[in-house]
Amino acid sequence: MAVSISRRKISEAINGYLFVSPWLIIFTIFSIVSLLYAVYLSFTSYNLLKPPQWWGLDGYRRVFDDDLFLTKALPNTFKYVIIVVPLQTILSLVLAFAMDQKLRFRRLFRTVFYLPSVTSSVVISLIFIWIFAPQGIFNQITRLSINWLDDPRTAFYVIMGMNIFTTSGTLMLIFLAGLQDISPSIYEAAQIDGANAVQTFFYITIPMLRPVIFFVVTVGVIGCFQVFDQIFVMTAGGPLDSTTTITYLIYKWAFRDTTIKMGQASALAVVLTLIILAVTVLQRRMIEGSGSMAER
Amino acid sequence: MKSLFKLMSVLLAVTMLLTACGTPATPEKVVETIKETVTVKETQIVEVPAQQTVVRLSGWASSPSETALLQSLLYQFSVENPDILVKYEPITGDYKQALLTSIASGTEPDIYYVDIFWWLELATNDVLLPLDDLMSASGVKREDFIPSLVDAFTYNDKLYGIAKDFNTLGMFYNKDLFDKAGLDYPTDDWTWDDLKAAAAQLTDTSDANKPVYGFCTPPDPGRFPAFVFQNGGSVMTDDFSDTTLDSDAAIGAAEFYTSFRAEGSGALPSDLGEGWQGTLFGKGQCAMVYEGGWLIPYLRDQFPGTKYGVVMPPAGPAGEGNLIFTVAWGISANTKNPDAAWRVVNFLTSEASQKTVLESGFALPSRQSLQDSDYLKNNANSAAIFNGSFNGAHPFFWGSVGSDVNDQMGKALERIFKENQPVADAMKQAAEAVRSAMK
Repeated sequence: MAVSISRRKISEAINGYLFVSPWLIIFTIFSIVSLLYAVYLSFTSYNLLKPPQWWGLDGYRRVFDDDLFLTKALPNTFKYVIIVVPLQTILSLVLAFAMDQKLRFRRLFRTVFYLPSVTSSVVISLIFIWIFAPQGIFNQITRLSINWLDDPRTAFYVIMGMNIFTTSGTLMLIFLAGLQDISPSIYEAAQIDGANAVQTFFYITIPMLRPVIFFVVTVGVIGCFQVFDQIFVMTAGGPLDSTTTITYLIYKWAFRDTTIKMGQASALAVVLTLIILAVTVLQRRMIEGSGSMAER
Repeated sequence: MKSLFKLMSVLLAVTMLLTACGTPATPEKVVETIKETVTVKETQIVEVPAQQTVVRLSGWASSPSETALLQSLLYQFSVENPDILVKYEPITGDYKQALLTSIASGTEPDIYYVDIFWWLELATNDVLLPLDDLMSASGVKREDFIPSLVDAFTYNDKLYGIAKDFNTLGMFYNKDLFDKAGLDYPTDDWTWDDLKAAAAQLTDTSDANKPVYGFCTPPDPGRFPAFVFQNGGSVMTDDFSDTTLDSDAAIGAAEFYTSFRAEGSGALPSDLGEGWQGTLFGKGQCAMVYEGGWLIPYLRDQFPGTKYGVVMPPAGPAGEGNLIFTVAWGISANTKNPDAAWRVVNFLTSEASQKTVLESGFALPSRQSLQDSDYLKNNANSAAIFNGSFNGAHPFFWGSVGSDVNDQMGKALERIFKENQPVADAMKQAAEAVRSAMK
């Protein structure tokens, strides 16, 4: 009896692995192997033309000696995360809350709000380039004459605004699922206790959504640390490096420079991974910490 | 969701109807002709016996007409050399990235385009084949080609690429705007003072919707160095071990270059809402621009009504100065068939092929003998660009930190234009940044 069960378990396991193997093989080759190779490359000097040469920590030293990284890419990336993550979280929460009410044309609004998220970021970037061109719609409506994407003071904020616009749709959907998961009986109980709408929102909805908020903020932070395609299409890191982020700098070193610095770029990629890891762990501590405080 | 789908299908149907009505019949014929040429070529290849040497050839595809030109030359080659099969593998998108990746994985083509801006990186890493032995074996001399183009691809006295074509900067001027201002057309003898005076007289900003500026000065590292050379300066030292962007000559050139906008007779393309001054020249908003020969087919296609002329850039205090942009045919050092590859390159850069290239009007040939060709005699605009290569022209190449040098030149100009940084400070800051990139 026992033997036949274990045999069945083994054959089930084999079947299971067989079913996931197409994905697993692709994941191993294109993610795990290339990830480990990038870590290896970060300890080498590699210009694509000659085999990589062991470099030790030189690549990391060069990263932390680089002016562009220290004075532009690093602060820009943090500025981006600090501005975009709260705004996109609040906006998507408000949108989700509105979409949870019994509004007319609710389905239409849901589609409209979600549409930017499923549109290619390159296409949206191009649309924003035209909107914010010197003779674009935005300047015509506001009667301003600012060259938004060519001015170091404004270009980064346009990109931030665009990212908030595109990501809030997906996040709205996640919040919406979270909202519909909250049992109506809790709201009823609150109503009987005499809570008004604002109190219900802050004392019922928000605490009940805490796991969803954690998820949305974490995904948002990771996404914002990796912002690349919009910058690549809209400003290429310019004007005057005002939109150069860590990921764009990695790309510049790895592919743009006359002398390819693949090792140094890989080192920066590893540094970025460590930054994201640290921030995520910190976030988890903070949200879980505050959660247990409130529950007590 | 279902209703959205319905809406989409209605939209799709409407678009299809619209396109069906709106398409004129003529362009389709052109497409068909091109298809035919390709078919003929393939039929020829199949008929040839199996002992062919395969040579892979790659470059970027800049325009369909240029690709067609190269394909017709390759077809001619295949007819004359049935023992060699040339496989043309154009790369769309980021060419340098694709090429370097293929070199890293050992699958690069036998023959490929090498840009003046980064070829040395390939030569110093022994990825490119020196061509001197192959050249002398088939009787091709360095002197057959324009000297500045030979120098441009020489390293340690060895030649690593044969220029397939080239461009220099010419000063394009709008004849209508000159007539309107009552000015004589520029000549090849112009100096900085003439340029300055004409720019002020051509500027007319009375129409706020369509202001006209005399001379456009983009913060472009592909234009500004010409002024440095005209001022007797340089971008890098001769051995590329240091930058000279903070020299008096370079600072003086930057002062002159940025003075147009400061005095109201010049503008940046971005001031006028365009990314490229070529478009503004076509629209008649920049009366004079420094551009290369690529502007000629662009104007022919996009702004056929524009009346313009091209002269060599005005001389500065130290005389003529210009930039050479060029792309060469390089042969991979790993090729298994260097002789076959060389025969292809030799054919493509032969006088007959180069004449075809010249007469197609897309590019200027690298053969010196074509200087006296009828085409250049009849096309003064192209001739001005061609002759630029003999007058103070320097290759558009700044050594192993070239992209940093370009970045820093562009940023220094942007800081002067947009943040009013003093010119000398901006150039010194750029030079320091280049030096730190060299470490």
